[in-house]
Amino acid sequence: MTGLGRGRLLLALGLGLSAIAGAVALSCLLGPQPVSLADALAGVEPHRAIVLGLRLPRALLAALVGFALAAAGTALQALLRNPLAEPFVLGVSGGAALGGALVLLASVGLAGVAGPAGALLGSAPPVVLGAVLGAILSTLLVFGLGRIGGRLVPEAALLVGIVFNAFVAGVITLLKMLVPPEQAARLLYWLMGAIGYEPPGTLLVGALVILASVGTLGLLSARLNLLTLGDEEAATLGVDVRRVRTQVFFAASAATGAAVALAGLVGFVGLIVPHLVRRVVGPDHRLLLPASALFGAAFLTLADALARLAFLPLGTEPPVGAVTAFVGGPFFLWLLRRSTRREAEALP
Amino acid sequence: MRGAPATATATPTPTPTPTSTPAALSSSGRGASQGGAIWIGAPPRRPARRIITLAPSLTDVLVALGATGRVVGVTRVDRAPEVAGLPRVGGFLDPNPEIILGLQPDLVLWVTDGGALAAVRRLAELADGAFPILAIPIITVADVSAAARLTGEAIGDPAGGAALADRLDAAVERLRGRAAGLPRKRVLFVVGRDPLVVAGPGSFPDELLRLAGCDNAVGGVRPWPVYPVELAVGVNPDLVIDAALDEPPEGLARLAAVPAVRAGRVVRLSSDALLRAGPKMIAALDELFLALHPEAGR
Repeated sequence: MTGLGRGRLLLALGLGLSAIAGAVALSCLLGPQPVSLADALAGVEPHRAIVLGLRLPRALLAALVGFALAAAGTALQALLRNPLAEPFVLGVSGGAALGGALVLLASVGLAGVAGPAGALLGSAPPVVLGAVLGAILSTLLVFGLGRIGGRLVPEAALLVGIVFNAFVAGVITLLKMLVPPEQAARLLYWLMGAIGYEPPGTLLVGALVILASVGTLGLLSARLNLLTLGDEEAATLGVDVRRVRTQVFFAASAATGAAVALAGLVGFVGLIVPHLVRRVVGPDHRLLLPASALFGAAFLTLADALARLAFLPLGTEPPVGAVTAFVGGPFFLWLLRRSTRREAEALP
Repeated sequence: MRGAPATATATPTPTPTPTSTPAALSSSGRGASQGGAIWIGAPPRRPARRIITLAPSLTDVLVALGATGRVVGVTRVDRAPEVAGLPRVGGFLDPNPEIILGLQPDLVLWVTDGGALAAVRRLAELADGAFPILAIPIITVADVSAAARLTGEAIGDPAGGAALADRLDAAVERLRGRAAGLPRKRVLFVVGRDPLVVAGPGSFPDELLRLAGCDNAVGGVRPWPVYPVELAVGVNPDLVIDAALDEPPEGLARLAAVPAVRAGRVVRLSSDALLRAGPKMIAALDELFLALHPEAGR
């Protein structure tokens, strides 16, 4: 590991894991029902069921989704060489939502004709697969249309992503009109980014896809450093640019797709977390990518706990996507102002 | 059972399927009157003393059966004064499993609904036999009296439940009888005004309109379509029923292009009781009859 102290990496990973543990513990302690942790661990009902059966899985799901989105955001920022790139803003999450929604609705249609087959299609693996495929296709679209004269232009890609998001929102609205109301309610709740009550099968499939794809991004992190120098420079340093870019593409899309399948559209995690982590650990992706992923996990777990806490008096729980959008939207605009001001200052 | 008129509503309620798997909690498409109700976990052997209802209509049934004292939790949208002081366990679409578990119920009553399916399924998994959940799908008018019967049986008061169901059936029969021979009107049943949402074929009000000797002016196949105003003008209903009670009555001005609205042939319902699967519906059916056939008087 040249230029990267193993000690620094271990320190970052240790801090990240401690942050996750703290966030999960806090999330397990917060909720509408007063519980005793000691009783829960001793197996006293209903404490055990509330803490271990409801809060812990939810905290772990939030951690998993934050882990995936922050890693995907870091990778996409490296590919586009732009700090504003993020799965949600680029429309990758939207594509995943559309893919997952189409599979979900196809299963409803099929259930009417052939019950068991419909149930099978509506189960976890096909929905995750649909979301991953949707994410991959939308990434290809954004990066394909974001080229001007053969060169990838970050601003163009971002614009394509934003337009694609609006398109997806329209299609999903149309789908909602076409399905029975109870299905529409389910679809809407899922898409709003609710960290809900996923069955173990969905969790398992999603977790496997996320761990595999974020692991792949981790292995590619040294090459990401070279990619950020520019295509020609990376190629002269012996990087097969096209191949690395394709691998990063697929891994970031798969991570995003699985995250969307698990929790719907949770935006801006991949924007906020890598940015803050970059300020602490610097731009080296070998450190930035794993640290971002871990702190992304802690961030989303905390955001979800905060969402539940803030709405306690109303007796309801907002989807965590609403909280991240509430924080992330203004953050995006602030970053945009900053980066355009920098460019203006750099001009002669 | 009393002497049965020739209707499906008076057939004995099929016993719910005893099952122990939360996975069985999915919409079979069969209503409670066709045996679509499901027990998750074994039905209580002793009368339940800590009941949680996840639907205001079932709360009404418990109040009517005099079991209010045994209810320990209701939804956020329950408005009945009898349960005003009780803990809230979330909404109709988003029940909160954590609060429900914390109240340590010995029976949970739920009107099957896709929106709350995931939360209730998780609740059933966590209950793990500690308490049963009775899931009652209510699709038709027959299911309403079946729900009263099932609820009575579930809380150990089968006679009370049956009596309530009989009163409901009788009210439905009375409506049908009084409407016989009256002119059939074409009615537009409005449940939301912005956007315009109406009761279409397959919806609960659609069935009530037919029982009351009227025709639904709305065609198509969707139970709750978002309806273009110009279609509402085109179908030219004889009468508009305004059931959009969350919105002020003057909001109907949006529909001024509909001839019936211009001519003042609009009746606003006084409560949402028509959509309640219980005792409140009995009076509501009479109100509906008067709304549809004001000329018939009392």
